Amino acid sequence: MDFSLLFQNNFKMFLPEFFLATSILVLTLHGSLISTSKILGFPLLLKSFNKMSILILGFTFILVNNNSASFLIVYSSSFIFDLLTLNVKQFLLFSAILCLFISEHSLKLGQINQFEYFILILCSILGLLFLTSSFDLLSLYLSIEMQSLCFYVLAAAKKDSSFSTEAGLKYFIIGSFSSGLLLLGISFLYGCTGTTHFDNFSLLFSEIDSSHSFLTSLVQKALLCIFIAFFFKIAAAPFHMWSPDVYEGSPISSTIIFAILPKIVLFSTFLRLFQTSFAYFGETLLFFSIGSALCSVIIGSFVALKQKKLKRLLAYSSISHVGYLLLAFSCNSLEGTQSLFFYLIIYMLTSFTIWSVILSLNTSTNLDKSKTLIDLSSLSTVNPLLAFTALVAFFSLAGVPPLAGFFAKLEIFVNCLGSSLFFAGFVAILSSVISSFYYIRLIKTIYFEKVIDNGFKFSVSRSCSLILCFSMFFLVFLFFNPSLLFLQTHKMALCLF
Amino acid sequence: MYFLIEEYLPIFYIFVVSVSLALIILGASFFLGNHKPDSQKVSAYECGFNPYEDSRNKFEIRFYILAILFIIFDLEAIFIFPWSIVLGQITSFGFWTMFDFLFELLVGFIYIWKIGALEWQ
Repeated sequence: MDFSLLFQNNFKMFLPEFFLATSILVLTLHGSLISTSKILGFPLLLKSFNKMSILILGFTFILVNNNSASFLIVYSSSFIFDLLTLNVKQFLLFSAILCLFISEHSLKLGQINQFEYFILILCSILGLLFLTSSFDLLSLYLSIEMQSLCFYVLAAAKKDSSFSTEAGLKYFIIGSFSSGLLLLGISFLYGCTGTTHFDNFSLLFSEIDSSHSFLTSLVQKALLCIFIAFFFKIAAAPFHMWSPDVYEGSPISSTIIFAILPKIVLFSTFLRLFQTSFAYFGETLLFFSIGSALCSVIIGSFVALKQKKLKRLLAYSSISHVGYLLLAFSCNSLEGTQSLFFYLIIYMLTSFTIWSVILSLNTSTNLDKSKTLIDLSSLSTVNPLLAFTALVAFFSLAGVPPLAGFFAKLEIFVNCLGSSLFFAGFVAILSSVISSFYYIRLIKTIYFEKVIDNGFKFSVSRSCSLILCFSMFFLVFLFFNPSLLFLQTHKMALCLF
Repeated sequence: MYFLIEEYLPIFYIFVVSVSLALIILGASFFLGNHKPDSQKVSAYECGFNPYEDSRNKFEIRFYILAILFIIFDLEAIFIFPWSIVLGQITSFGFWTMFDFLFELLVGFIYIWKIGALEWQ
């Protein structure tokens, strides 16, 4: 490859990532020099680092928007840039900014004073950006590793809490196990085909016929390995057991990041992998993803009924939502993919509302106690507006009509029936009814359970209240006018077919 | 077939020489040496620990940090050796790519130096 050519086109597409990487280096130098400086009195850089990270992500967002080409495959075809990656990167960066914005207050309360925390967040976002664009199994694996290594450390960020350390260790062991499976699958594929490019796979498999039965079965096993790794990463059901413990143990600002950021990127990348490369193995893929989807919706709805702690409850609720997403994944059609993106974006919006509500329950006195359902009681008398926002968000998660979550779920069920997945759709609808029980129980706790002396008042930090307003507006607005998001997600889905 | 044997003959020589050398050294120290076994001598050697203890007790974290740092800078050497061999063939692009890597490593080095991970105290 010619040296100068590399900087002509390829580099231009990577400008946002390059900017982010350089900023991480500068921030590392800045933090290590300033925070150890005796003259400045060993300052705590928490607040300034939070602001700077938001600023850096904002600039990266602008650079992503300022994209020069609409379709390009760069760096010896290991990265791709098209409308899907553009939109996913926009959503990712935007929600990362919101995550940093709402977690500022809780970081201050939680006394996570290491500046490395923000550098790790930025590194994980860099990894996710690379993952969005990756068009080669090698770059896919490397960027998954980059983001998950940062996540392991983020889970263990609260060094003096044994829960946090346990969560980090658990996440690390499970994560490295699933990465090993991913590598095994990739090496199987490489052994069968001698390539790791997404494009080459589809070319090779278009020529396959019944005389290649051994090859086909080997590729199916490789796909099983890759699928299991993917299920581990998104915490889909038979491989979900790490997620409640990790959500519960890690500090809440890290939990928000695990819960919201990686899903959209993982889904878009693996959709691209399976749609561009392995369309020939559609039935095998369908078999795996429907199995996991049904497990997820059933386990997510039934196990959540028993949960007393809020973060665990939300972890199980996220498992069941991943089940709906996988159901849309297994529709294997344009409309199904569109409904996947639609559901995912609305789910992210709703999660922002719910996590902000939970963040508002934190005060300096009760920080180390993990929040149970009882902590939400009498919220309606102490802070009626917050209670109403929580009500809207939980109803939207449950899929109650005048809210955006209803449309999202409806879309998925309709597309399920459209792709003749009658049984799966039926089971998903039934378990959606069951899962709405615990959302409504939460609302009952908020509105009808009175505890005389709750002991603390719920004060919402300024940034949280802004996010609450914003996301609640969209939850209502997208019900009355979903066409903008519909069109956008349709365009995103069109990139894959 | 004859080719193969000729190609692998040096390896066979090395094998024979190393095995016989090991046998000679071990045997000489066994037959000629002074044997006064005590509990410290016969126990397995481990740096800084008592070898026979419950393995689930507390452990000095600094050993880990040192090991991690060693791995990072060891990897640097592993990258640099092949790079220096093929430097003539990889043009200026390869040259500057390595410098980019070294620069990022330098940033990491300044970081661990400044936060005091290199100090034993």
